[in-house]
Amino acid sequence: MKNLNLILAGVFFTVAAAWSGLVITAQVQLGSLGRAPSEEGGPLFPSREPGLAIQGRAVYLDLGCVACHTQQVRPAGQGSDIARGYGVRASVARDYVLQSQVLLGQRRLGPDLANYGARAKSEVELAAFLRTPASGVNHPPYAFLDAERSTALVAYLKSLRQDYSSPEAKLKQ
Amino acid sequence: MSQENRTGRPQGRPPEGGASRLSRTEAGLRGPFLCFFTSAVLWLVVASLLALIAAVKLHRPDFLGACALTTYGRVAAAAQDTFVYGWGFNALFAVNFWLMAQLGRFEFRNGWLATLGGLAWNLALTYGVVQVFRGELGGFALLDLPREVGPVLILAFLFAALWSVVTYARRPSGHNFASQWYVIGATFALPIVFLLGQLMVQWFPSVGTVPALAHAWFVQNLMLLWFGASTLASAYYFIPKILGRPLSHYYLAPVGFWTFFLFAGWTAPAALLGGPIPIWLQSVGVVASVMSIVPVIIVGINFYSTLSVDGGWSRAWNSTTLRFVSVGVVCFSLFGGLSTVFSTRDFSAVLAFTSFAQGQQQLLTYGALTMTLFGASYFVLPRLTGSLWPSAKLVHLHFWAASLGLLVAVVASLAGGWQVGHLLADPAVTTAQAGAATAVWTLAGSIAAMLFLVAHVAFALNAFGMILASSSPTSEGRPD
Repeated sequence: MKNLNLILAGVFFTVAAAWSGLVITAQVQLGSLGRAPSEEGGPLFPSREPGLAIQGRAVYLDLGCVACHTQQVRPAGQGSDIARGYGVRASVARDYVLQSQVLLGQRRLGPDLANYGARAKSEVELAAFLRTPASGVNHPPYAFLDAERSTALVAYLKSLRQDYSSPEAKLKQ
Repeated sequence: MSQENRTGRPQGRPPEGGASRLSRTEAGLRGPFLCFFTSAVLWLVVASLLALIAAVKLHRPDFLGACALTTYGRVAAAAQDTFVYGWGFNALFAVNFWLMAQLGRFEFRNGWLATLGGLAWNLALTYGVVQVFRGELGGFALLDLPREVGPVLILAFLFAALWSVVTYARRPSGHNFASQWYVIGATFALPIVFLLGQLMVQWFPSVGTVPALAHAWFVQNLMLLWFGASTLASAYYFIPKILGRPLSHYYLAPVGFWTFFLFAGWTAPAALLGGPIPIWLQSVGVVASVMSIVPVIIVGINFYSTLSVDGGWSRAWNSTTLRFVSVGVVCFSLFGGLSTVFSTRDFSAVLAFTSFAQGQQQLLTYGALTMTLFGASYFVLPRLTGSLWPSAKLVHLHFWAASLGLLVAVVASLAGGWQVGHLLADPAVTTAQAGAATAVWTLAGSIAAMLFLVAHVAFALNAFGMILASSSPTSEGRPD
């Protein structure tokens, strides 16, 4: 252990091995994923985000919503996500292929939003909730949001959907 | 130098035989060390204040809620970034550098280069934190500073930290010890990890969930290879040094070192169990997390067997430095044990997305790393400044507030996460109901944040009082 080059080479090998084994292999496996039809000849999913939703994603990031909300539905048997209605199936890698920045999140202080668009309130109700959350809900009031940013954020939240069949996760009929 | 004080009164001391004399090795370090250290302490106080605001916002969401500047997401991200990049990195620049120069008896003559790196680091971080408050916030924790900050941080790191490797390569004494391996490994691995993390997450993100995996890999390496390895480096130095006896079972240390580095990076997918990544990768993460217990056991054998003979624990309690370092060592073992046990699928199904993971991370970043860095500061600062710590009461206050804060914070995160996880296993319970049922743990988190702030202000007052009262010691005369 006196040889500096040996230590540096060993450390480099351990770091490179883990990076290659995890990240590069994941890139090989997932990097070419694209949209796919839910049934032969059907429309491709995931759908492209509307322009307003893309602006809303920036607001979502800007406010730091990812600190409290995840966007990933775990499979049945791995938590109660599906049973509690967060999604109709588990999230799969293909669901995120159009997202310029995937926002899986790490903490759930509020509900998961991966499939929020499928169960969301109306635009008006959602905008009102963001300004003045219902009592008993531990959500900060975003009264400072102007109409433009609020509309964009609502459009983004409404656009979050994973309620289609995917080759890796078929919906049960 | 021994800091032991049989009365139990913690009190750092300057070097014996002349407070105004520094060894040649230490004379070259004084400038860069104090630059890094003062920056670190200032960031620590800022991070504590932000963490307190974030903690209060968890049970009072409308607190400071009138503007976008202080949303929970922004404040929490800024608190974490200032703690990790402001306190953790600066303090490690200082302590690792000092360790390597001491162990290698290396006379450092280009302190201005390291200081320059430190200044660049702190300026870039300040800019990044301001941008976070302005809403330029990324979606990945610890890679959420604006991406233009990243390259500056890497360059600054090379200037500030790579001297540790130089001191080993050019050490005249040929001295070789476990602390040096860990510092070299950490210092060499971090820039590679930081560069790859930034490239794959911020600059050229790949399709879908690959960036999420790259992010998990980055965070695990940052936590284990930089923070974890540096913690072990200090512990390997201070325990035998202050106890005045060789490390027990030292022949195991190389095995601990290599297994630590071998398994650390592979544990990343365990953080994404059940997520939209391939299942085989998740299994690899679980296996690596379980295997990571091997180095934890080995370093535990080294440390605990050294501390357990000839009244070692008692002597550790009577030494300010070793009191902090011992807490750090215990927390490292707890972190390793929890990471192994709770990385399995059954536990993850219940505990994922709760505060449990935060509690585990606090054991490493605060319990192990920060407490060890505090201990190192109590050892090094008196030597470099030639002064006594101004107030023994503040030292006491620092230790007890930090220890109590750590205990409350970790218990609140782990117990709160456990309770929330089990409540949410029932689909009929909403997140709001689970939050209300566990409000006591959230409140405890705020109390812990307050205790941390008190501890850090006490530490800062004492440290700055000592630095300001110190003269510029001369370097002639005192041999190493």
